[in-house]
Amino acid sequence: MNITIKYFSWIRVKLKKSHDLIELDKAISFKELKNNLISKDPIFQEIFKDDSVKYFLNLNELNDNDRILNNGDVLAFLPPVTGG
Amino acid sequence: MIKIVKESFDLENEFKNISSNKNGAYSFFLGTVRSDLSFSNTEIKGIYLECYEELAISQLEKIRLQALKKWDLSECLIIHRIGRLNLGEKIVLVITSSSHRSNSIEACEYVIDSLKIDVAFWKFHLLDNEEKEMVYQKNKDNEKMLKWREIIN
Repeated sequence: MNITIKYFSWIRVKLKKSHDLIELDKAISFKELKNNLISKDPIFQEIFKDDSVKYFLNLNELNDNDRILNNGDVLAFLPPVTGG
Repeated sequence: MIKIVKESFDLENEFKNISSNKNGAYSFFLGTVRSDLSFSNTEIKGIYLECYEELAISQLEKIRLQALKKWDLSECLIIHRIGRLNLGEKIVLVITSSSHRSNSIEACEYVIDSLKIDVAFWKFHLLDNEEKEMVYQKNKDNEKMLKWREIIN
């Protein structure tokens, strides 16, 4: 199964990429995905420690670390917005 | 009506698109790129606006529908630009229309205040050396939004 992660603002700049396509053997929770990402790149530790970062799953805010991710899901990591 | 665009827009054309004889009032908010200083105290060259377009459209639509309902508007137009903008260029336009002015004025302020806190746009200063410097959310914008949340909920 595949999950897309989109990165914005300072997260995109820090990671030097706007998105990732994650391939998984089985369904995992958001918390497990976070741990996987941290093990690949310590920058994710900094991202997940920042309480101002919001997470969206398929355009809906995600506040549940135990939420199981499904094939085709689109996650987005959003720092505080500054439009207008 | 909601638009996220790279190119500029014409105020008179946008007004014509939503004008109606039923309205007695239109309120406009136009945000533009102002000259500012970077963190290293140099004049910025302009701004760069990043957007998560699918999410921003759904967030703007939610704000628009709240404004239409709360202030009994006949229309609410929101246009936001993305990409590279020079000093003085238009960034965002909000037009609200209603029978009487108090509704359109208050609704217009609500829409732009909400947009600054709740919609997936990110602003960067453009510097002399083509580098980008992130712009941070302002506490005063967050505090203002708390006032609106009491009114809208």
